[in-house]
Parts: sequence; C-alpha cells; structure tokens
Amino acid sequence: MPSLTIDGREITVDDGSTVIQAAEQAGIFIPRYCYHPGLSIAGNCRICLVEVENTPKLQIACNQPVSEGMVVHTQSERAEEGRRSVLEFLLANHPLDCPVCDQSGECDLQNFYMSFGIYDPRFREQKVKKKKAVTLGPHVMLDQERCILCSRCVRFTDEITETGEFGIFNRGDRAELGIYPGEVLDNAYSANVVDICPVGALTEKDFRFKARVWYLSGAPTVCNGCSQGCNIDLHFVLDRPHLNDGARLVRIKPRYNPDVNQWWLCDEGRYGFGWLDRDRLTEVRGPSTGTDLTEPSWEGALDAISTTLATLGSTHDGNGSSSGIGVIASSQLSNEELFLIREVFERQLAARVIASVPQKKGSCDDFLIQADKNPNTRGADLVGLPGPDSPDASTLLNQALAGELRALWVFGHDLVELLGEKSVRQLSENLELFIFSGTNRNPTAPFAHWVLPTAAYVEKDGTFVNCHDRVQRIGRAFPPLEGTREDWRMLLQLAERLGLTLEWREPEEIFAALGEASRPFAQLSYETIGMHGAEVATPRNGAEATDP
Amino acid sequence: MSFEDLNAEARRIVERYEVPKAAMLPVLWLVQESRGYVSPDSEVWVASTLGVSRSQVREAVTFYNMFHTQPVGRRELRVCTSLPCRLRGSEALLARIEESLGIKPGETTPGGEVTLTEVECLCACEMAPMAQLDERFVGPIEAEAAATLVADALAAPGSPDSTPEPEPYISTDGPVLSARLGNIDGTWIDAYLADGGYEAARKALTSMTPEDVIEEVKAAKLRGLGGAGFPAGVKWSFVPKDSPKPKYLVVNADEGEPGTFKDRYLLERDPHALLEGMVIAAYAIGSHKAYVYIRGEYFLSAKRLQKAIDEARDHGWLGADIQGTGFDLEVVVHRGAGAYICGEETALLTSLEGGKGFPKLKPPFPAVSGLFACPTIVNNVETLSCVPYILREGAARFLEIGTEAQGGTRLFCVAGHVATPGVYEAPVSVTLRELIDRAGGVSGGGQLKAVVPGGISAKILTADEIDVRMDFDSLAAAGSMAGSGGVIVMDDSTSMVSALEAAVDFFADESCGQCSPCREGTGWIRRIVHRMTDGRGGADDLEALLAIAGDMEGKTICVFADAAAWPVQSYIHKFRDEFEAFVRGGQASDSEADVA
Repeated sequence: MPSLTIDGREITVDDGSTVIQAAEQAGIFIPRYCYHPGLSIAGNCRICLVEVENTPKLQIACNQPVSEGMVVHTQSERAEEGRRSVLEFLLANHPLDCPVCDQSGECDLQNFYMSFGIYDPRFREQKVKKKKAVTLGPHVMLDQERCILCSRCVRFTDEITETGEFGIFNRGDRAELGIYPGEVLDNAYSANVVDICPVGALTEKDFRFKARVWYLSGAPTVCNGCSQGCNIDLHFVLDRPHLNDGARLVRIKPRYNPDVNQWWLCDEGRYGFGWLDRDRLTEVRGPSTGTDLTEPSWEGALDAISTTLATLGSTHDGNGSSSGIGVIASSQLSNEELFLIREVFERQLAARVIASVPQKKGSCDDFLIQADKNPNTRGADLVGLPGPDSPDASTLLNQALAGELRALWVFGHDLVELLGEKSVRQLSENLELFIFSGTNRNPTAPFAHWVLPTAAYVEKDGTFVNCHDRVQRIGRAFPPLEGTREDWRMLLQLAERLGLTLEWREPEEIFAALGEASRPFAQLSYETIGMHGAEVATPRNGAEATDP
Repeated sequence: MSFEDLNAEARRIVERYEVPKAAMLPVLWLVQESRGYVSPDSEVWVASTLGVSRSQVREAVTFYNMFHTQPVGRRELRVCTSLPCRLRGSEALLARIEESLGIKPGETTPGGEVTLTEVECLCACEMAPMAQLDERFVGPIEAEAAATLVADALAAPGSPDSTPEPEPYISTDGPVLSARLGNIDGTWIDAYLADGGYEAARKALTSMTPEDVIEEVKAAKLRGLGGAGFPAGVKWSFVPKDSPKPKYLVVNADEGEPGTFKDRYLLERDPHALLEGMVIAAYAIGSHKAYVYIRGEYFLSAKRLQKAIDEARDHGWLGADIQGTGFDLEVVVHRGAGAYICGEETALLTSLEGGKGFPKLKPPFPAVSGLFACPTIVNNVETLSCVPYILREGAARFLEIGTEAQGGTRLFCVAGHVATPGVYEAPVSVTLRELIDRAGGVSGGGQLKAVVPGGISAKILTADEIDVRMDFDSLAAAGSMAGSGGVIVMDDSTSMVSALEAAVDFFADESCGQCSPCREGTGWIRRIVHRMTDGRGGADDLEALLAIAGDMEGKTICVFADAAAWPVQSYIHKFRDEFEAFVRGGQASDSEADVA
C-alpha cells in the first residue's frame, strides 16, 4: 500500500495502482482520451501527462505505477504545458465541425480545450482529408476526420466483445479508423463504442441530429430488457416536443455498476425503449353499457371493479380454496407492486395469483444478455408469487379456459399470443370480470371488460431483483403519461376500496413493509440499496430462506 | 497459386512461432510472393489461418509499405529518395526514370512490366543514388546507368540484369568486425572455422558460467551499436534469473536509419560472427530461442543468414545440445516488410508478435516482459558481432581499442558528399574529421558545410564542429549523438532547407502514428516545410517549426518524435541565416537544384 503525493495531497493507494487511479481516489481529475478503466492501457493519446519528481520526462498517468514516496504534479507549469501541446496536436487535423456534430456538448476535445487548452491556434495548413458520415452498422456512424485514434473502440471489440471489427489502418497522419471493408458492425454490444468514443468520431445513428445534448435531462434507472438489470441513464426531453417527434425519451446510456454491467449495455436494451412513447394506453375503458358513451374515470372504474371483487372475494370459504378470482401478475412489475398484489389478491381476496406466464426463451450470451426478458422474475419469486414454471401457472390458465374462474386480472400480458384469439374471446364471454391493466395496446386489451392504463417503469419508483439476486432501484425519470397511473398507486387505491388498512403511501414505504414481511428484503432500504443495488439475502448467497 | 496450395507452407511457418499471430508477416510474404499482391480474399485467408480478425490483418497490410494491396507489375523498381540519396541526385534520377517508363511512383507500366515505387532509405547510401530492382540493390546510378536500369526493369522475365554489381568501399582490415567483409560472396562456415570461428562460443559454453560471460562483456564496455549506446552486458544482467518463463534473444537487423548500412555487410559477408555472438549471448541470458528481425528490403541478407544458420546447425553450433554441452538454441529469421519504426526495439517486438510496429509502453521493460510477455534481450547485429572477439581476445584488449567508457571499434558508414562512400571500421575514439578524410574528403572539390554524425536522427554539426570523437559520450557532449554510426556529409552546395525537407519527409512517412504528438507533429512539420520549399513560406514559419518540434519532444512512447524534432531544431538553429533568407525570398526551384 504505497503512499504518494499528488498536487500536495498525500494519499495511500492499493499496490499496483497507477497515478491516474490514485489521482481519481484523491478527487483529482487527470484528462484522458485513450485511457478507459474497462480496457487495456494504450498510452497513445498522451493527454494525461503529469510531472513526476526526479523523473526527467513527463510521464503518462495512465501507465505510471505508483511507488512509495512518489511526488506527482498535475498542475505544474510543465504538466500544463505538456497537456496544452498534446491538445494542440490532437486538434491540428480535427475538422472543428462542432456545430453539426452530435457529440458537441459532451465532447472531451471541447471540454479539455476549455479546461486545459485555451491557446492561440498555430495550425495554418491544409488538414488531412478522410471519410465522413460512414455507416458502420445498424447503430453506429463513423467520422474519420473527427477521430483522434485513441483506439478505445478497437480495444472494445478486441477485448470485450472479442469480435474484432475495428482496426486502425495505415500509419503516420494517414492512419484512419475503420472496420474491415464489407463487414458490418452489428455485434450485440456495438453501440458501446459510441459511449466510449471521447469525441464525435463514433455517433449513434438513432440519435443523429435529434437534439443538442444540452437540451437533454438525465435520470438513473435499470434496464428492463432482461433479467440482468443493467444500470442505465435515461436521457429525455420534456419541454421541447419538436426535437424528438414528441417522444420524451431520446436515448439510453449505460451507467457504471461494477457488479452488474460495468460500463456496458447491449444494443437490444439500449434501443428497446420505443414502446415508452408509442402505442401507449392512456384512457380507462369500461364494459360498454349500450347507451352510456362517456368514458369512465379511474375512480369510477376502481369503484366498480372493487365492488365486484369484494363480492367474489367474500364467497370463498376461508379454508384455502379459491375465490374464483385469478390474477396473472407480471415480472415486469416492481417488487413493491408484486408485494401489493400478494397482499391484496392472495391474502385478502384468496385469488389464485401467478407472477407470469410461460414465455419463449430469448437470445442470451455469456456476458450480459439473459434469456429471461423480464427484469424482475427473481423478485416475484422472492416476494413469494408462483412463477411461470410453477404448476399454478398452467392450472390457472386451464381453469380460466374451463370457465372455473369468475374474474381474471391480467397485468400487461398478451394472452392472444399465448392462447390464440378464439380462446381469449371465449374467456371474455365466460368471465364475469376481465381486467387488463398495462402500459401499451396489445391484442388482448380489446377483449377485456376493463382496460386500465398504467405507468411505465421509468415513470415510477420501485425495485427489481436481477438474476444474480441484486435488488436495484428503478427510479422515476419523469411523471406518468397523462391518464395513466402507477400500478402500486392503483393497487393501494383498490385496497382502500376493499377495506384493507394499508398505511403505505409511497413505494419506499411499501418496500419497508416488504422487508418486514419477507426475509430476503429484510435489513434493506432505498438508502442502503443506493445507486448500485444490494444483494438480497437468499440461500444462494448464504442466507436462511425462511420468512420472518 | 490457390490458398489450398499455400496451407501446408503456412502451417510450417506458424509452427516456428509461439503464437499463430506472430506468423503474420511471413504468411503475408508467402501470399504476396505467390500471388503478387495481398488481395482482400488473401486477407480473409490469412485471418482464418492465423485465427485473428480481418481488421488485424488489414492493419498489418496497410502499415507495412512493402505489401501491395493492388496487382503490380512483373518487377518492382524502388527508388530511394531519402536524404543521403537526395544529396547525390536521386530526385533527378527519379524524374529520369519516370520519364523513361512514362509512369509516376505508385504506378505500373501499361504493359505490366514494372511498378515504380518511391521509397525511404533502403540503407544502401554507400551506392547513392540507388534503387532496388526486385531484390537487388543497384547503384550508384549515374548517367548511363539509369538507362541500363530502366532496360533491366522492362526486360522480358528471366533475362539477366545488365546493371553491374555495386562496388563500394568496405573496410576489410578489422580488427574487430571487418576482417572477413572482403568476401563479397559471404564467409561460410569452413572459412569461418579456419579463422578460429566458434572458439569463443566453445570457451563460453565449456569454461564460463553465464555470469562470467556477462561480466566479461560488461568489462569490455561494449555499448549497444544500434544507436542507443546502452552497455550490452548491463542489459543482459537485467534478465531475471528466477523467471520460469522462456527467455528470448532478439537480434535487431532492421537496419533503417538513413545513412546507415553496416549491418547488411555483417549479415551478408560474415553471418557466422553474428551467430557465434548470438550463441554466447543466449547462453549468458539463458535463452534457447532467438529471432533475427531483418528489414524486408534486405532479401539477400535474410537468405545468407538462413544459409549460415543451416550450416551452423549441420556443424552442431545451433539446435539441440550444441557441441555436446547440453545447451540448446534455435534461431528463426523473421523478415520485416517496410517500416523504419520496427528498428525501435519494442516496436520490433510488437511487429514480431504479428502486430503493427507500435512501440510498447514501458514499464514493463523487455528484459522483464518483452516478446510474448517473456524476458527478452534485443541486441543489434553489430553489437553481437563484437562479442566473439571480446571472449576470444579478452575484455581488456577490446576496451583498450576504444575509450575509457566505450570499448572496441565501430563500422562507421560514410555517405553523402564524400569521395569514397563506404563502411569504415575504426576505433570509437576516431574523430569525425578523420573519418571524412578516410573517405577521401568532400567530393567534387566542394567545401564541407555540415555533417550528420549518427544517422538522420542525430543533430547536425557544422564544418567547424568535426573535431569530435565518435564515441557515444563525446558526441553527446557535442550536442549530437553517435546513433547508428551513419555519417552523412554535406558540401557547400547543399541547401539546408531542401536537406531538412528530405529529413522531415522521412519522419512523416515513417511515424507509426500511435502517439498523437508524433503522428500529428511529423505531418504538420512536413506541410510547413513543403509550403516553404514551394515558395510560400513566411518568417513566422521558422518559429512555428521550432515550437512544434519542441512540443513533440519527450512526450511520446518512443524517441522517434524526439528524433523527428532534432533535425528541425538543429538545422534551423545552425543555419538560421540561410533559412531566414530562404523564407524572405527563396525560390523553390533554386533550392531544388541545390540539393544535388
């Protein structure tokens, strides 16, 4: 554990640390282009030059091992002069087309020029001409002139995806970034190269010319695309509908989590967000009553539904037999919502509840992408709801088809895909009460007696448990679309109408109650979960399984 | 030839290396030699043969100048226009060849006879102005020789070349390195053994410990003669004794520094001296596998060294259990493909591993983690060729020849405006003036204007700075460097602006492009200097050049950027008046004529 001094600050760091890591630990930022903590050290950009006492030349902080008693200066005249000259070289052939560059505003050439450059440019020659606006694949565009040849993308496809698409061809100032002619950059993680590109050389096709980045707001959440639960930031725009065809969400960026996804995100998760602003359900629809053409309100709907449910729920004998109510919950819902479903339907109404329906396994790999495309299958399991592989799942669907259920509440699933339209029509006719709640239109919704439009996961607080038993907060990026309501709020309001005294008013309070009711979540709170999540206590990770 | 036909040979090549990717250059050579050029489908085949990505293959193909990505003529004529050749008229020669062939560099004659290529230094400055027709060096090409060369280039396949063999002056009187260089067809093993060859190796293997050998070489104060001048014995002692990894000896035969051409003579005329030096060095550092990285243009050198290796193996001086001592050493000849930077020892290792010739970050240093991340010692050909002498004659004798800090002699290469360009063996204490005198003084009755004492990277010296000894320390004290021992002499007809143009062209062509200050700086400097020689320079350009050169210094992975900065700084500092007069009113056409 060597100690060193950086800019007068003494710190002790782990053996094998480099100066750039030590500086980070001390809260001192050293600029970098080629250095990326998730990739091997290239040392080619030279922007991280620092002065090390008793060393004649400036050293690159990214490859300089810390040694005991080392004294480093990042702001000495020599260090600043070194950075300035490196920056001038990097900008010599840069096209300076910032006004039409998507990276503008989050570009480290711009940022570091403002922080470490500010010189009178001396370059008066013809710049080297290279290719611009090259399509590399479905998601990524290349501008060779903007590229500073830091090789982050090359190392990403060599070391992380091991697909090896990128190369830097030719040499000297003719060197240029590219992929092999005729090949397509379409690996499952291709857009990560845009994130790690420190300049505007690699940009997102999807984001191209959509918005200046300074108009974007950001919020942290977790990807709901599969059970890995990669941490992400949502970038959205609420007050400039002209920028993005009225859609609020503009793009998704991976958010660093050392235990889940490091710096990375798959393309499927990154570009799977269109549904948040498209084909959303925003209006409550009730059973047509012939003459009454006015749309029912949320309150009217909940009143009517709760009345029917209360009647059905009171008919059961209290000995564990079913009340004739079936609920197909969803592992797209948060733990808090699944816990409310358990409390309201299973405990109060003696409904048969399953958390999911059988689904086809999706594509997967040995890196981030999981075959289970639901973000909270493990959470539903830990809350105590039977999953899609439980006997209950088939039993419930068979009962429903056989007419043995009187009410069915479907949370977001498409039963038409599962059972076929004919069966669902049959269900609609057999059931006394058929409720569909969900975020988006689907083929099942038209057959439901009631359609309740709910908020998407980015519009509400809550938690998911990923496939590695890590509970993570999903946050709330922006309010629910007008007309929609969060599932947890809807369930609390239903509970109130059913005469259930629940004291919780917010997801955080529901989670606290879940912790008291369910051992895996005991000792956890939104605060302890934090930005990077926390492991739940399960037998898998050595905890006792029994509920308190 | 189909790829199927190449598979067996490719497999044999791959087997020589620790990892398949390291066979990149030899497999690309195999493709080019059998199919004429490296086509896209060849790249795909190489990628699958070596188990690497296509992009990695293309990186190599586009990095190394000798690989063609388009079909070329039956023959290739490479005309050198680097500084030493420019001093002796290569620009006029190239113009004449272009006119005769009716094509520009990079083009092929319409009949497909020959492709013309303009190249940086081929390290045959003793025969400047020179060219290389396929594998053969030709020069000096003056007057009628150009017509003969063009006729050879266009001749029907198989017809014998009519250009004569070059006959430059080459030292043959030793004492350390040049005694056998008179054998223009090579000194083969019988002659070498008759001269007492391999007795030094026998002495090391049978009566010395590796430590003894290292101590002897340290005591001899043998310095690295590739250019850096690092004490060879000290370098050997850096190899960790307790490392369980294999250790490698790598010979740097990537001679590329403009003005330098000594290693080629050692490789072609006395290859066993190098091999004996390698056996001793490998024994000292505990290595059983050695690579000799020879620049791609040295076709004959590679062939002759391979012949010597085969001879040595047949005589039990290489291979398993050398002379019954239980010591094993395998030697692999590895050919480069046209990249000066591969003479930098870590770039050489990256290249040998199958990558572009990118210098490696230090730490770690090669002695600890070099080739294939194993302890590696890289030594120059000339350095290792001195080793048999040291063990045979003793460190004291070697030291006595040189100075107190540097033992022995060097093969100094003298080129440019001298009466007798060539290779001169001399004690390292010889002065620059004495060397120029030995080369017959300034040619053509001109006066001495300037001398580059140690290859193009060395800072230039003026005519009154030549009473300096040529050892590493004396030249460093004089503000230049001994470098590779390449002495480039310029007479008073030389335009320093044009000379600088040749130098900056070289560095801009040869920068590997890895570090931003070098990649951008060399190109930037080239564009300013060319603007100046085009007659569009301004007074502030000189300050800009000095500032850019200064900004490049000391900021990159290797010292190439520093080497690129030094000519700019030293030419302008020492000939400031000439540069200022030039940018004030210089005519481009005048200076072009002046350089010859």
